[in-house]
Amino acid sequence: MPEELLKIEDLRTVFRTEAGTARAVDGVGFTVGRGETVGLVGESGCGKSVTALSIMRLVTDPPGRIEGGSILFEGRDLLGLSEKEMRKVRGNEISIIFQEPLSSLNPVFTCGEQIREAVALHQKLGRRASKKKAIEMLRLVRIPDPEKRYGSYPHQMSGGMRQRVMIAMALSCQPKLLIADEPSTALDVSVQAQIIELLAELSAGRDMAVLLITHDLAVVAQIANRVVVMYAGAVVEESPVVELFDSPAHPYTKGLIDSLPRLGQRLERLPMIPGNVPDPFDLPEGCRFSDRCRARFEKCATEPPLFDLSGGRLARCWLCEGGGG
Amino acid sequence: MSGGSFFWSAGWARFRKNPRAMAGAATILALYLVAILAPVLTPYDPVSHGDLPEMRHQPPSREHLLGTDKFGRDVMTRMLYGSRISLTVSFLAVTISVVLGSIVGAVAGYTGGIVDAVMMRMVDALMSIPRLFLLLTCIALFSRSLLLVTILLGATGWMGTARLVRGQILSLKSREFVSAAEALGAGSGRIVLRHLIPNALTVIIVSATLRIGLIILGEAALSFLGLGVPPPTPSWGQMVYEGREVLLDAWWVSTFPGLAIVVTVVAYNLLGDGLRDSFDPVQFT
Amino acid sequence: MSILAAKGLKKYYRSQGGYFLRGRQFVRAVDGVDIELKKGMTLGLVGESGCGKSTLARLLLRLEEPTAGTLEIDGTDFLALRGGELRRARRKIQMIFQDPYSSLNPRLTAGSTIAEGIKIHKLARGAGVERRVVELLDKVGLPRAAYSRYPHEFSGGQRQRIGIARALAVEPDIIVADEPVSALDVSVQAQVINLLADLQSDLGLTYLFVAHDLGIVEHVSDRISVMYLGRIVESGPAVELFSLPLHPYTEGLLASIPSAKPGDRVRVAISGDVPSPVDIPAGCAFHTRCPKAFDHCSTETPQLREVSPGRYTACWLHVD
Repeated sequence: MPEELLKIEDLRTVFRTEAGTARAVDGVGFTVGRGETVGLVGESGCGKSVTALSIMRLVTDPPGRIEGGSILFEGRDLLGLSEKEMRKVRGNEISIIFQEPLSSLNPVFTCGEQIREAVALHQKLGRRASKKKAIEMLRLVRIPDPEKRYGSYPHQMSGGMRQRVMIAMALSCQPKLLIADEPSTALDVSVQAQIIELLAELSAGRDMAVLLITHDLAVVAQIANRVVVMYAGAVVEESPVVELFDSPAHPYTKGLIDSLPRLGQRLERLPMIPGNVPDPFDLPEGCRFSDRCRARFEKCATEPPLFDLSGGRLARCWLCEGGGG
Repeated sequence: MSGGSFFWSAGWARFRKNPRAMAGAATILALYLVAILAPVLTPYDPVSHGDLPEMRHQPPSREHLLGTDKFGRDVMTRMLYGSRISLTVSFLAVTISVVLGSIVGAVAGYTGGIVDAVMMRMVDALMSIPRLFLLLTCIALFSRSLLLVTILLGATGWMGTARLVRGQILSLKSREFVSAAEALGAGSGRIVLRHLIPNALTVIIVSATLRIGLIILGEAALSFLGLGVPPPTPSWGQMVYEGREVLLDAWWVSTFPGLAIVVTVVAYNLLGDGLRDSFDPVQFT
Repeated sequence: MSILAAKGLKKYYRSQGGYFLRGRQFVRAVDGVDIELKKGMTLGLVGESGCGKSTLARLLLRLEEPTAGTLEIDGTDFLALRGGELRRARRKIQMIFQDPYSSLNPRLTAGSTIAEGIKIHKLARGAGVERRVVELLDKVGLPRAAYSRYPHEFSGGQRQRIGIARALAVEPDIIVADEPVSALDVSVQAQVINLLADLQSDLGLTYLFVAHDLGIVEHVSDRISVMYLGRIVESGPAVELFSLPLHPYTEGLLASIPSAKPGDRVRVAISGDVPSPVDIPAGCAFHTRCPKAFDHCSTETPQLREVSPGRYTACWLHVD
């Protein structure tokens, strides 16, 4: 187990709207070690993106609000920092990239210029040096012909290229942690693989931890060391990646893994999880997955804690009580 | 038409929580009540002249709360009756302009192509003519009457609505539910009436509400130029016009109707803004 | 037996600024596609963004008019139909859309949405309409209470079921499903796919299943066609196409699907991005990204031809 870089404990983020209060993140806790790649997996509305925004303290308030818990980054609680101190952390120590790179890039500046600005800001370099560095960054993220591409505007680039630019910008300050929120979801299949490979190489090359947020377990299987599975605002399972796929402990995780398409195995019917993801404004009583779970029994009417299954594995399911799998 | 009851009730719930919008709505409601109840609220006649010269230009007093004008008529009475003119003219004129604008906008937006291009260039051409100039020309051609003023105010104000509705229809047309209706074999009439217009309705209503204020101002401006509602019918613009010569000696003759115009326009704008915030379809898609 | 046959379908759009700048520029969204649907079977149509698969789907329903080509549905020339004739014939082919949010009119209840087609084609009257709608709700696995609810009250998967019921209401022969599950949660995708499979065996429907990744279509398709920049580059029986892809693009797509085995890293099989459809490379459109391209590929466009029985590909590697 590598040294702890990020430690989240009992994080609670709520959204108060006219429709009621949504407990989007409801007591989430996990750690990310130095240089480690952790996959944070879940379906829409499970709170994985809100967790990411909470770490960056970018939750829009109102309606969102971080109500409790702690986010320790190298021992400092990010929730206790002033906005000014937090800006420093955001720039220099933690970076984030989003699903849709087009909306994260400024359309009136060239991509190169935007990277150069980030480099100049964080590394305190002059104009010429920072431009050279920016071109180097473009080369690092495998943009062909970086000198020429330096002058391209975001709309002149394809989705894959734009995501590379975003990654280059995020890396320009040499962060210790990169949060990647669905970095490949909006991209074409053939380009997805390229971006995932790029992320894997970059994190290995510079000892940077990655928190990879995605709905796609297959992407996580590619590059994560450990996986945290979220459902309806809570962590339901945490495990090293190999064990998770070999023997998922939580029925939800098992359902997700089963519903992945496996090439060359044509099935009459796809394995499926019945029902729908619960409404965050109206979470079910007891175990939140119980109304969709085939293995439910009487105990599921009360909410299970996260049981420790040893070997770095945790699962929030009564079936795992007493460490049994 | 079935459908939409949720939509209205959710919007209404938002609207009720907006104090400015509620204030606007209450003011307008009060204005309409006053207009209807005018004969009950005042003992005087709005048109007939006072008998004695000393009745003219009386300052506000117990008998005449807002004073009298140059013919000795009670200013408050004329304002109460004047609200009937302002409210009716603006309501009818806005109805005319919204119906015209929606038809033109919907036809142009739905048909597209050359029809759209020709219609929208016509709208652009009409918009480039100063409105007051258009109004003055028409009034000079025909004899002045209440009906003419109403129709003219309506017929010269629909272009903005047409553009707005066309934009809405264009964006709705590319939505998949419209493709689905087309694939089901729905005809153009059904698609426009069932799928396009209902989804553009809130935008149309909001724009109509905001436009009423402009039309009241337009009527006042025409009256102030002496080209609006013919005297002795009381209209607020007319009253401001009549009082302008004696503004320093008998300030009440112009000031109170002027205030009435301001209050009404502000109330309609508050209502319109409130409606937009509460019913803007963007929040639902 | 063929129930739909399209030959040489083309759809060109004039690109913006094309009137004055650099003469005329066209986006060749669909550039000469032949497609055949066999009764009761499923054809999977796969391709990445901008390959023209959605445009092709809309052409088959005549939601767009083709620039060229022929389209026959159930023996009638679909492109020759006009006005009322066309509206009546539209019953035969229906579509399920990608976006469960934009595909339902927010002002209509699920009941009115499903009833619309029944009313248009007068398939039932009076209380019969309501009975039929309830029957359809049942069929797609929605509760009766859904009848009077509005789209915003449903989850994505449930909305997609409403869209399916709307399409079924007019008793179509063919259903074109344009990425019907790509906007849904992973756990819900399988539900919708299984529902579509059940409906097919119950009602003898013919499907065209459009998707951007091969993983989904494998389970549902009898045959698969792969599209790249407006053309079909490979077509064949699903099982064979997966076990032995002929076109390098198909091969690359297959390799790009991440497997669920930890540590089993995808090898990047296709480099670069999909070129813009305004500026399609000369010769074989794929040669700029193809690991096996040779000189000939950049000069002449390969045509789709039958390489072995039932298997077609447009690649110079497979021309003797």
